[in-house]
Amino acid sequence: MDNRATRRRADNEAGFVLHTHPYKETSLVVEAFTRRFGRVALLARGARRPRSAMRGVLLAFHPLRLSWSASGELGTLVAAEWAAGLRSLEGLGLMCGFYLNELLLRLLPREDPHEELFDAYAGSLARLSARAPHAAVLRGFERRMLAELGYAPVLERDAATGLAIEPERRYAYEPDRGPVAVTGREGRPGVGADVVVSGRTLLDLARDEYECAETRDEARALLRALIAHRLGGQTLHTRTVLMELQEL
Amino acid sequence: MAKEPIPTAKGVERLVEALRVLPGVGPRSAQRMAYYLLQHDRAGADLLAQAMAAALARVRHCARCNNFTEDEVCSLCRSSRRDPSLLCVVETPADLAMVEQTLSYSGMYFVLMGRLSPLDGVGARDIGLDRLLARASDGEVQEVILATNFTNEGEATAHYIAEMLRARKIKASRIARGVPLGGELEYVDVGTISQAILDRRGL
Ligand SMILES: [Zn+2]
Repeated sequence: MDNRATRRRADNEAGFVLHTHPYKETSLVVEAFTRRFGRVALLARGARRPRSAMRGVLLAFHPLRLSWSASGELGTLVAAEWAAGLRSLEGLGLMCGFYLNELLLRLLPREDPHEELFDAYAGSLARLSARAPHAAVLRGFERRMLAELGYAPVLERDAATGLAIEPERRYAYEPDRGPVAVTGREGRPGVGADVVVSGRTLLDLARDEYECAETRDEARALLRALIAHRLGGQTLHTRTVLMELQEL
Repeated sequence: MAKEPIPTAKGVERLVEALRVLPGVGPRSAQRMAYYLLQHDRAGADLLAQAMAAALARVRHCARCNNFTEDEVCSLCRSSRRDPSLLCVVETPADLAMVEQTLSYSGMYFVLMGRLSPLDGVGARDIGLDRLLARASDGEVQEVILATNFTNEGEATAHYIAEMLRARKIKASRIARGVPLGGELEYVDVGTISQAILDRRGL
């Protein structure tokens, strides 16, 4: 869509702040994720002034209503309002929130609307805010994000044979293809690079079931590998920062 | 058609480039500053150059609180009038100055010179958390007061410091937040009021 010539206006759009960067002396560039317009970059003029009305509002993880006008890549934020009173994320939940934001910043192209992904994101934040188990929230979001971006993981059929996944078998997961049953003790040549998980994990993932500890561990490793594949070698800052903290 | 480049002296170009390291200074403002200094205030420019060189040569981080000082240990950390059992953690020297202005705190400080910012890749090492932990474990500190900002980054920073202190059996507390003193609810932003209601306390 060519919108270079037209100035678009968006009013009261549901959205979240993903991240902000200082811009010049008193302004902010806001990376926002909106329901109907996807990821947009917006300039918030004067938002870093001590008495700016936007200062206490432009915080990540809070549902907002955003109004802006745009004629190119960078829109101008006109208003930002609080849309719901979510309890602020705390502790590890806050770290999980940063992680979700980084996934969106890295993997979701700008101006590509994904309403269902937006709803999944809003729901994930609400669950983190309500102290839901983190693993279930993260895995659910990762899976939905991959699906929304067109990389829905195959979880119920063996990619080589087309047969239904058996809970007791082990499967090597090839990121571009899907799970392939590992045969015998010798395995398959070249399995080394792929994550190997149980059929049970795949089936649990398909149903968003994370009660079992083994499922949680394997699902985490599997989704991590699938996301790493989409990131093409980029490392996630949030993961590095968390690892460094755990070393102290 | 390419325009003829405007002739400029090498020194001017380098000065403009150098001024751009300042936060919020783009090429236009840098150029304005450079011309101003060279044309109207050469003495001021000389003062600036000397002050900068002197600061770079002498100013370093205090071995105890990490704030800027010209000594190994700053005067505040050496003062016998401060309470060594309290350690207040702030993000910046400006925050320290603010807490000092209250005249209601007489303990010691640790200045992080930043905050955790996971999305920017700023981690524990970048803000010297290992040094803070060493400082807090000196045996004299009884309570660490976390006065980082009430942003998501400041909250994450406070949380992780508190966790690390807890593991070392050192008491940690967080400064309270809410409606500003003298603030009328009608004029306070909704986020603050929403948080103040969630953080309400019994009377
Ligand atoms: Zn000191």
